[in-house]
Amino acid sequence: MEAMTQSGSAAGEEDLVASEYLTFTLGSEEYAIDILKVQEIRGYEPPTLIANAPAFIKGVINLRGTIVPIVDLRIKFNLGKIEYTPFTVVIILNVAGRVIGAVVDSVSDVISLTRSQIRPAPDFSATFDTKYIIGLATVDSRMMIVTDIERLMTSADMELIDGAAA
Amino acid sequence: MAIDMSQFYQVFFDESAEHLAAMEGLLLDLDIENPDPEQLNAIFRAAHSIKGSAGTFGFTDLAETTHILENLLDRIRKQELGLRAEMVDAFLQSGDILRDMLEAHQGRGEVDAAAVEAICARLRQLSTDKPLAAPSAAASTPLSAAPAAKPGARVFDIQFVPTEVSARGEGVKNLLAELRSLGELEILSQPDDGVHNVGYWQLRLRGECGQEAFADQIDFVADNGAWRVLENQPAGDAGDGAFGFFDDSPGAPEADAAYGFFAPLETPSEPSPPAAKAEDDGYGFFEPLPVAAEAADVTTSAEDGDGYGFFEPLPAAPDEPPVAAEEGDGFGFFEPLPEAAPPAPSPEELAVERIAEPAAPVAVVAPEKPAAEPRARAAKAAPAAAAGGDSSIRVSVEKVDQLINLVGELVITQAMLLQTAGQMQENAPERLVNGLAQLERNTRDLQESVMSIRMLPISFVFSRFPRVVRDLSGKLGKQVELKTSGETTELDKGLIERIADPLTHLIRNSLDHGIELPEKRIAAGKNPVGTITLKAYHQGGNIVIEVGDDGGGLPRNKILAKARERGLQVSDQMTDQEVFNLIFEAGFSTAEQVTDVSGRGVGMDVVRRNIQSMGGRVEIDSMLGVGTRMTVRLPLTLAILDGMSIAVGDQTYILPLSYVIESFQPQAGDIKTLSNQARVIQVRGEYLPVVALHEVFNIKQRAGDFTQGIMVVIDADGIKAALYVDALVGQHQVVIKSLEANYRRVQGISGATIMGDGHVALILDVSAIAGMAKSSVQKAG
Repeated sequence: MEAMTQSGSAAGEEDLVASEYLTFTLGSEEYAIDILKVQEIRGYEPPTLIANAPAFIKGVINLRGTIVPIVDLRIKFNLGKIEYTPFTVVIILNVAGRVIGAVVDSVSDVISLTRSQIRPAPDFSATFDTKYIIGLATVDSRMMIVTDIERLMTSADMELIDGAAA
Repeated sequence: MAIDMSQFYQVFFDESAEHLAAMEGLLLDLDIENPDPEQLNAIFRAAHSIKGSAGTFGFTDLAETTHILENLLDRIRKQELGLRAEMVDAFLQSGDILRDMLEAHQGRGEVDAAAVEAICARLRQLSTDKPLAAPSAAASTPLSAAPAAKPGARVFDIQFVPTEVSARGEGVKNLLAELRSLGELEILSQPDDGVHNVGYWQLRLRGECGQEAFADQIDFVADNGAWRVLENQPAGDAGDGAFGFFDDSPGAPEADAAYGFFAPLETPSEPSPPAAKAEDDGYGFFEPLPVAAEAADVTTSAEDGDGYGFFEPLPAAPDEPPVAAEEGDGFGFFEPLPEAAPPAPSPEELAVERIAEPAAPVAVVAPEKPAAEPRARAAKAAPAAAAGGDSSIRVSVEKVDQLINLVGELVITQAMLLQTAGQMQENAPERLVNGLAQLERNTRDLQESVMSIRMLPISFVFSRFPRVVRDLSGKLGKQVELKTSGETTELDKGLIERIADPLTHLIRNSLDHGIELPEKRIAAGKNPVGTITLKAYHQGGNIVIEVGDDGGGLPRNKILAKARERGLQVSDQMTDQEVFNLIFEAGFSTAEQVTDVSGRGVGMDVVRRNIQSMGGRVEIDSMLGVGTRMTVRLPLTLAILDGMSIAVGDQTYILPLSYVIESFQPQAGDIKTLSNQARVIQVRGEYLPVVALHEVFNIKQRAGDFTQGIMVVIDADGIKAALYVDALVGQHQVVIKSLEANYRRVQGISGATIMGDGHVALILDVSAIAGMAKSSVQKAG
């Protein structure tokens, strides 16, 4: 991820090095995140509520003895149908030394992307905060939103960490 | 370097800290009048071990300071110098400096270079004090009967090749500085490359000192055999033969050198029965006086009597050299009598005397501790061997914590299985039920054993207090004796670390405010020496630590007056307990003047806060003129908590049992409102604020009105409140898990745990919730 966040202008061999990304859907949108940040994928189970937490923080679950907060990205980004079925998926992420679960509509694929395949996203500041987007990639005519999941999860927006940087 | 030493740093830091602690303990125990040689040896070994490993790891500053310390210790150990109180002070200070250095190497704090310099200078000065002439030394060492003769100017040629480590560090520079302090130093040749001083050095030193004054320093900078010292006799006519020995192998272990130097002698008892009788083991080490000794000297020393006069004709020496036997505390070594030198020493004789000295202090220790021969380099591992009596292993805390976590998991899984079997009711096969019961017992035993790994005796904390008391009582001009009991009481490691500061503060407080000055104590008919007692014991599920003093006690009126002055709500009707608790208020101090010990009013509130954050309490008992006792109660461990599970809506919370006073079902009309906002309920004649948990946590409640639920009366450090919940579920021992590890702090929640069914239950932060109740009542009122 470190390498990915650096400016994508460096040409040459680096462009050819492919990294693997996990893609998931939120509503009709497809997102790709660095697979090295993913610890595991599991089904949704009702978490223990946390008092006075924002709506998108569903609560905490017991992941083999670790207390893990669960974030519903669909609520956070206002995408897709908010329902919890046996097929609802939680991606357990390992970011910034923390374990965080993210609820998504579905997990679709693992893809390889080289740096040159990721195009910078146009800047539409008003809608989705583009600072969490590394770029856009096209695979089989589908558009993937390549997301810096670590930056997103540790941001103050997510309210997951005390005194997180904005 | 092929091996990455940094991976062993932590071990070094731990070990050095232990050695320092051991050294400090021994120093404080030391009887200055009559030091126990075994203790002196132990102190020396501690310093030596630190020096050795610091050198290995390249912490030159540590190694050099320890080296100076070690030198002085060595001389005391060998009774060349008498132990004095100021030396113990200097040792303690240097221990502090070393600890600072260790901390600095671990990235915590900084070392005050001036302080290091000062202590090194102090130690050097102490070790260069005229040892044998010192009257105080006379009492403790028989050797001291021999006054040191004033040495004349002597010239040494010093050649050495420093080791890489000391060349890169300050080693060589320090050596040069040290040599310069001894006399006139001339650098004959030095390596070309000024930056890396690795290379051949040739120095010439003109001074009054003997070779032993700097031989150790050179040995420290250069490897064995990589240095030599030649003495040029100004007179040039005598002593050459004698020095030949030193020329050959100055770097060799001194013990060996000494052995080689001894005259072959069959039995020591033969020529001198009186001296030999005094020697139990009869070590036959004799030192001949070199050729230069004159027969006349022999007679001088013979007349000196006093258990010395032990002469042995040496085949190699035509003249009769005097050989002195010295019996001392199980060390059997024989030394030449310095009196052998005539009153006005000629250079030759001086040389003789000087040369004999370095080889003399061969300490042959009692046979049961053969490894304790510290001067022999081969015995470098000796301290480890000596300390290896207890069989223990060093394991990192993370590993233990991981084990504890895993056992916690096992407990949860076991509870889950039990629950499942319970649901099967009659259908569960008997063997399964029996097996589960067995599993339950085994897991409980396992959990207890694993938890006990983290338990440490409280002496880890108590051991620092003799020093605190010693330093402070000196500073305050008070006479205080510290009595401790229950040092073996075990406490969780996490608590041990966190209790140290509050306890230190309580002890400082007792010393400063509690114990009176000696005059005042005598006037009050008390023993001028005050007593501070430090006690630890188990009581129920708690550890109780008491800090008591027989001082003046807390002045109730003064505290009340001070509280009024500060605008606190007080009345004369308050109980003593309530009055005394006022001293825990922030900024509260009745001290007439602020000292650097205490009196600023900062501290007692911190003490209470720290103890509370550990789930503990602190209480004060005091009687004016008799004394004060602070009682700290702590839970046995931080990792497990006795909790009551309560239901609110569809959620389960854990309420720490220690805060629960009682619970009852409220009747309609029990609950009154204040200004139609805050609710209160009368419980045993007291109006308590009502905290409805579902409102605090914004949960849809199951029960319709208050009569359907349960009121739980909680007491969080004096703040009482009635907590309204839907139901009480049960009582459990829960394993505390951190919520902040992956999430953030949540208001009103102190942690989380995993219930038998695998679900997460949050643990309520009772103090915060009681605080909410207080603020809501205040808002309403």
